[in-house]
Amino acid sequence: MMLFSLILAPLASAFLVALGPAAMARRTALAGTAVTFFAACAALYLFNWSAPGYQFEQSLPWLQQVGINLSVGVDSVAMMLIALTALLGPICVQSSKTAITDRVKTYYSWLLVLQAAMTGVFASRDLILFYICFEFTLAPMFVLISLYGSTNRRKAAIKFFLYTFTGSVIALAGFVYVAWFSSRLTPGIVNAADPSLLHEFPQLGKWTFDLATLEQAARLMSPAKQGWVLLALLAGFAVKVPLFPVHTWLPLAHTEAPTAGSVILAGVLLKLGTYAIYRFALPFCPVAIYEHAPLISVLCIVGILYGGLICWVQTDVKKLVAYSSVAHLGFCILGMMALNNTGISGSILYMINHGLSTGALFLLIGMIYERYHTRSMKELGGIAAKMPIWATFMVFFTMASVGLPGLNGFVSEFLCILGAFQASSAWGSPTATLPNGLPNAGLWGSAGAAHPGSTLGSLGPWFAAVAGIGMIVAAIYLLYMVGKVVWGPLVEPHGHDSHGGHGGHGESESHSVLPTDLCAREIGVLVPLAVLCVALGVYPKPALDALSGPVSDTVRVVQTARSNATIPADSVKEAAR
Amino acid sequence: MTTLTNILHAALTGSIGQHGEVAHAAAGAAPVQIAANGPWYAVLIPVFAIAAFLLCALCAAFKVKSKLPAWITVACLAASCGVSASVYAWVSSHGPAITYVFDWIHVVWGKDKGQSFVANFAFYLDTLTCLWMLFVTGLATLIALYASEYMSHDVGQGYNRFFAAFSLFVFSMACLVMADNFILLYLGWEGVGLCSYLLIGYFYKKPSAVAAAKKAFIVNRIGDLFLALGIMLCFVHFGTVEYKAVFAGVEEYIKHFEAGEFNKIPPVAQWIAYLLMGGAFGKSAQLPLYVWLPDAMEGPTPVSALIHAATMVTAGVFLIARTYPIFMISQYALHSVAWVGALTALLAATIGMAQFDIKRIMAYSTVSQLGYMFAGLGVMTSVGAAAHVFTHAFFKAMLFLSCGAVMHGFAGQLDLRKLSGVGSMPGWRIVGIAMLVGCLNLAGFPIITAGFWSKDAILGGAFANPHAQSIGWILLLTAGLTAYYTFRVYFRVFVGPQHFEPGDELHAHDDHGHDHAHAGHDHGHDGGHQSHSHDKAAASHDFHPHAPGWAINTVLAILAISAFVVILPLKLIPGELGWVGQMVEGSTARAVGHMEHAKFFGFDAHQAMMVVSSVVGLAGIAVAFVLHYAGRTSAATSRADALLPAFGPLANWAQHKWYVDEFYDFLIRKPLLVLAHLFHIIDQYLVDGLVDAAGYLPRAIGRLLRPSQSGELHGYALGMAGGVAALLLIVFLATTSW
Repeated sequence: MMLFSLILAPLASAFLVALGPAAMARRTALAGTAVTFFAACAALYLFNWSAPGYQFEQSLPWLQQVGINLSVGVDSVAMMLIALTALLGPICVQSSKTAITDRVKTYYSWLLVLQAAMTGVFASRDLILFYICFEFTLAPMFVLISLYGSTNRRKAAIKFFLYTFTGSVIALAGFVYVAWFSSRLTPGIVNAADPSLLHEFPQLGKWTFDLATLEQAARLMSPAKQGWVLLALLAGFAVKVPLFPVHTWLPLAHTEAPTAGSVILAGVLLKLGTYAIYRFALPFCPVAIYEHAPLISVLCIVGILYGGLICWVQTDVKKLVAYSSVAHLGFCILGMMALNNTGISGSILYMINHGLSTGALFLLIGMIYERYHTRSMKELGGIAAKMPIWATFMVFFTMASVGLPGLNGFVSEFLCILGAFQASSAWGSPTATLPNGLPNAGLWGSAGAAHPGSTLGSLGPWFAAVAGIGMIVAAIYLLYMVGKVVWGPLVEPHGHDSHGGHGGHGESESHSVLPTDLCAREIGVLVPLAVLCVALGVYPKPALDALSGPVSDTVRVVQTARSNATIPADSVKEAAR
Repeated sequence: MTTLTNILHAALTGSIGQHGEVAHAAAGAAPVQIAANGPWYAVLIPVFAIAAFLLCALCAAFKVKSKLPAWITVACLAASCGVSASVYAWVSSHGPAITYVFDWIHVVWGKDKGQSFVANFAFYLDTLTCLWMLFVTGLATLIALYASEYMSHDVGQGYNRFFAAFSLFVFSMACLVMADNFILLYLGWEGVGLCSYLLIGYFYKKPSAVAAAKKAFIVNRIGDLFLALGIMLCFVHFGTVEYKAVFAGVEEYIKHFEAGEFNKIPPVAQWIAYLLMGGAFGKSAQLPLYVWLPDAMEGPTPVSALIHAATMVTAGVFLIARTYPIFMISQYALHSVAWVGALTALLAATIGMAQFDIKRIMAYSTVSQLGYMFAGLGVMTSVGAAAHVFTHAFFKAMLFLSCGAVMHGFAGQLDLRKLSGVGSMPGWRIVGIAMLVGCLNLAGFPIITAGFWSKDAILGGAFANPHAQSIGWILLLTAGLTAYYTFRVYFRVFVGPQHFEPGDELHAHDDHGHDHAHAGHDHGHDGGHQSHSHDKAAASHDFHPHAPGWAINTVLAILAISAFVVILPLKLIPGELGWVGQMVEGSTARAVGHMEHAKFFGFDAHQAMMVVSSVVGLAGIAVAFVLHYAGRTSAATSRADALLPAFGPLANWAQHKWYVDEFYDFLIRKPLLVLAHLFHIIDQYLVDGLVDAAGYLPRAIGRLLRPSQSGELHGYALGMAGGVAALLLIVFLATTSW
C-alpha cells in the first residue's frame, strides 16, 4: 500500500488542484507534495535497509491474459530515488510561488502528475507499468516547457518530446522482444542452460511482464540477441540520460523550461534513463553489456570532456549548467559500466547527488532570473556584492558539483572513476581468477605481481585517467561561471527594473515582490538540499551500505553471465534440440 | 602542565619513546609498529577548528559587526594547538597510533584483501603528524591574532567571512596531515584548496583577485587529478588506501630497494610514486605547476603568510614525506623529485631577483625554498627537508607578516622603488627587526640562523649523494641568488633614506563590501585609474603611514624570537638536526638504505657545506649591500640599475617571469578555448543539425510526394526513430565481432 499511496497521493492532489480554485492551487499542491514527502519519510523509516531484496511488494491484477499486473516493489536503489523525487516535490512547488503566476492550476496539476509518474517508474515491478509511467513523464514535462518556458519554448518542448519518445518506442520493442522470448521458453531450454533456474519460471511458456521472471529469461538469450536488445534499450535510455551523441535535446529543454521544470528534469527525469539502464540493461543483457562497456564508456568520456568544454563557452548560465549535466551523467554511466561494486555504487549515489546539487544550481539560477530577467553572463556579474546569501549558496552548490571532498559529489565521482580504474582484466588479479579456471596472466601484472584491488572488467586506468580530466574541466567551467556571476565588479542589466521582451510569464509582478537578497521561502527551499549535500558527503556510509546488497547482486549476475558466456547459451539450446 | 613537562622531557632527553628505538634498532626497514588506540582527544584538533568555522559562519549569518570572529578563531586555534601538544606528548611516550573517529566511505564486495574500499575518518598519529600539526596550529593562532588587526578595516563586512575560511583552512589542513588514509588526505588536500580559493578571492570585486583564485584552484586540480590517480593505483595494487596496510605492503619491496633490484618491484607499484608526485607539485607550486602561487598574493597578507608560505604549500612535501617508502621503491621517483625541486628553486630565484613588488618577491622565494625541500627529499635527506619546512614556516611567515605590516601602513604600497628606510621610521622598529631576522634566515646567514642549518642540511645531503652532485651545484647557486634578492628587499625598503609614497588603497579601505563607485560598473579601466591617481596625489600630502598596533607587533616579536629559538631544538639535541631529525626518523619519512657518502673536493660534504654555503650566503648579502644600499640616496634608484644593461634582455625576461604564463596561455588555455568553441559549433550544427535534418528529411520527402503535407510531428518522429536506430545500428555493427 505504501508505494501505491506514494503514487496516488500526488495524483489525487493533482485532481484537487485542477478542481479547486486558482487561488488555492499552490497551497493544495504544497499540501499534496508535503503529504507525499512525509509518506516517503515513513517509507524510508519502515524500509529494511539491510535486506537486499524488494520490499513493499504488491501486485494487483490488471490484464492477466497477457501477464500484465500492477506490481510494485522497491529495493534500496529505487527507494532512494523515490525519496529524492518526494523531496524535490515540495521544493519545486515552493520555488514556483513568484515565478508562476499565470495558469497556476494547469501548472501545479501537471507538476503533481509528473511526480506521480516518476515515482511510478521507480516503484514498478512490471515492465508495462514501468513503460507507461516512463512515457507518462513526457506529457507533463511537455506542458510545463511549452506553456511556462522562455522564448524558444515551443521548439524545445517538441524536440524534447519527440526525441525521448522516439527513443523509448525502440526500447519498448526491445522489451517486447524479451517478453516474447520469455514466453517461448520451454522446460527443456531452461534445463539445458541451468537446471536450478527451473523454479524461477512458475508459468513457463506464458506471457508475463513480471520483471523478476523476465530478468531470468533474458539472460538465456545468446550474446548476439542480448546485443540487439541492449541496442534497443539504449536507444531509449541513452537519449534520456543523455549520452553523448543523443544529448542535444537537453540543453535546449533545460534552458527553456521553467525553474521547477529544470529542477525536475535534472533531478529526476535524467535519472530515469540511468535507473533504467541499471534496472534493465544490466540484468537483461549482462554479456552484451560486458562486451560493449568500453564503447559505452567511450561515449561517456566524450560526453564528459566535450560537454565540459562546451560549458566553458556558454554565455547563458542555465545552458552552462544544462551542458554540465551531460558531463556529469557521463561519470554516472561510466561508473555503471565498470560493472563492479565500487563503480555501480558510485553511479547510483551519483544519481542522487547530481539531483541535489544540479537541482539546487537550477533553483539558484531561477532566483536570479526572477530578479534580473536575464541569464546572460554578459549582463550579470559580481552578484555577491548585492546578494551575499545567494552567493554563499551558489558557491556551496558549485563546490558540491565540482566534487569537493566533504560534500556529496566527491564520494560518487571518486567511486565512479575508481570503479573504472579497477575494472580491467589486464590487472590479472588472482582474487579475480576466471571462473572457468583459465590462467589470467594480465597485462600490467608483470613480475608476478598481484593487484588485489582490481576487478574483472573491460575498462581500466586509461578510461579513469581520461575521464578524470573531466574533473579539471568541471573546475574550469564552474569556476568560470562563479567568477563571472558571483565575483567580480557588480554588473546588472541596464534598467533591469523595466520589463522588456523577455517573453516570460508573470515576471513583471514578481519583481516587486522579491527582496534584493533571498527571502525566507527561497532559503528554505535551498537549505534541505544543502544539508543533504553535507550529510551525504560526510557520512555516506548508510547509503553505501544500503546499496551494497542490490549492487552485489547485479555485479554477480553480470560476472556470472560473463563467465558462462564462454559456453554460449544458444549452442546449449541447439544441443538440447 | 604535565603535558608540557612530557614534551620537554621528550625533547631534551632526545628520546621519542620505545618506538623510536625500535625503528632505529631494527636493521633495514622494520615495519613501523602502530597501535590502534590513539588518544581520543586527537579529534579535538580538527573539531576546534571546525567549531571556529561554524561560529564564524553564525557570526556572518547574524551580521556581527565586531571583532568577535577573530577572537573566536584565535581561541579555538589556540585550543587546537594545545591539543596538538598533548597529542605529541602522548605519541612521544606511547609511539605512533591510530585514532578512529567514524566510518566514512565503505564499499565492500568480499572478505578478501582488496575486496573492500574503506576510508574512515581516522587519524594516523606519529611524530611526523605531530611536527606538522604543532607548527600549523601554532602559526595559525599567531597569524589569526595578527589578522584580527590587519583585517580590522573589514569589520562587519568581510571580517566574518575571512575568519570562517581561515578556520576551515586549519580544519582541512588537520585532515590532510592527520589522515590515516589517502582519501581523508585527499579531503584535506582539496579542502585547503577551497579555502585558498576563497581567501585569494577575498577581495572579490577585484578582477585580478578573482582570476588568481580561479587559477590557483584549477592548477591545483591538475595536480589533484594525478594524486587521485595515484591513490587509485595504490588501491588497485595494495588493495587498500589506509597507510598502515599500504606501508605493510611496501615493506616487501623495500628489501629489493635496499638491494638495488628495482626490476623485482612491479612497475605498477613504482608508478604510484610518479602519480602522487604530480599532486605534490601542484599543491607545493613546483615546476611545471608553480604558476598559481605568485598570483595567489592577491589575497590578504595573513593568508599569504599562513597558507601560501608556511603551511598549505608544504602539503606536497608532507605527502612525499608521509609516503616516503612508496617513493623509495620507485626507481626514478626521488631523482625526479630532486631535479624538479632544484630547477624550480633556481627558476623561481631568478624571477624573484627581478621583481619590484616585495610580496611577489617573497612569493617567488617561497616557490624557490619549496624547491629546496623537494630537492632535499629527492636526495634522500628527508630530515633536512622537514627541518627546512619547519624553519621556513616561521621565518617566511614573519617575512610576509612584515611585508603585510608595510602594506597595511602604507596603503597597499609594495613597490620597493617607492619605499625606503621604513625600519627607522617611528613605530616601525619591531617590523624592521622582524624583517631583518626573516631576511637573515632566508639568506642563510651562517651559524646564528635556523634557516642556515636547515638549508645546509639539504645542500650537504645533495653533495653527499653520489648521484646528486649537479643538483648540489644548482642549489648552491640558488643559495647565493636567494641571499642577494632577500637583502635587495631589506636594503631597499627597510634601511636607507626615509621615503614613501602611499599605495592605491588610500581611500579604498572602506570599499570592500560596500557599493562603491569604483568597484561597481565596468567603465573604462583607464578612466578609473586616472581619477584614482588624481585622488591619490591630493591625498598623499596629508597621508601618514599608520604604524602597526599591538597585535601585529606582538605577533612579529613572537615570531622573531621563535625564529631564533627554533635553532635550539635543531642544534642542542643530539643527532642530525636534533629534535626535527628525531621526529622524522621516528616516522614514515625515515630514509632507509645505505648509500656511500660522496666527498666534496675531498672533504666531508656536510662539513664542507657549512663553510661553502656560509661564504655563498654572505657573498649574496654583500652584493646586495653594494648594489642596493651603499651610496643610495633615493628610493627609486640604486647602483644595480647601472648594471642592468650588461644583462641584455635577460633581466627583462626574468622580470616578465620568463613568459611562462604567456607560454601556458598560448600552449594550453588558448587551444582548449578554441577547441571548446569548435565543439560548441559542432554541437549546434553537426550533432544537433543531424537530428534536425533527420526530423526534416521525411517532411522533405513528403513534400515531394504530396504538395500539401501535414503531420509535421509524425515525420519528425519517424525521422528521429530512423536516425537514432540507424546511428546505433552502425555503431553496433562496427563493434560487434560476429
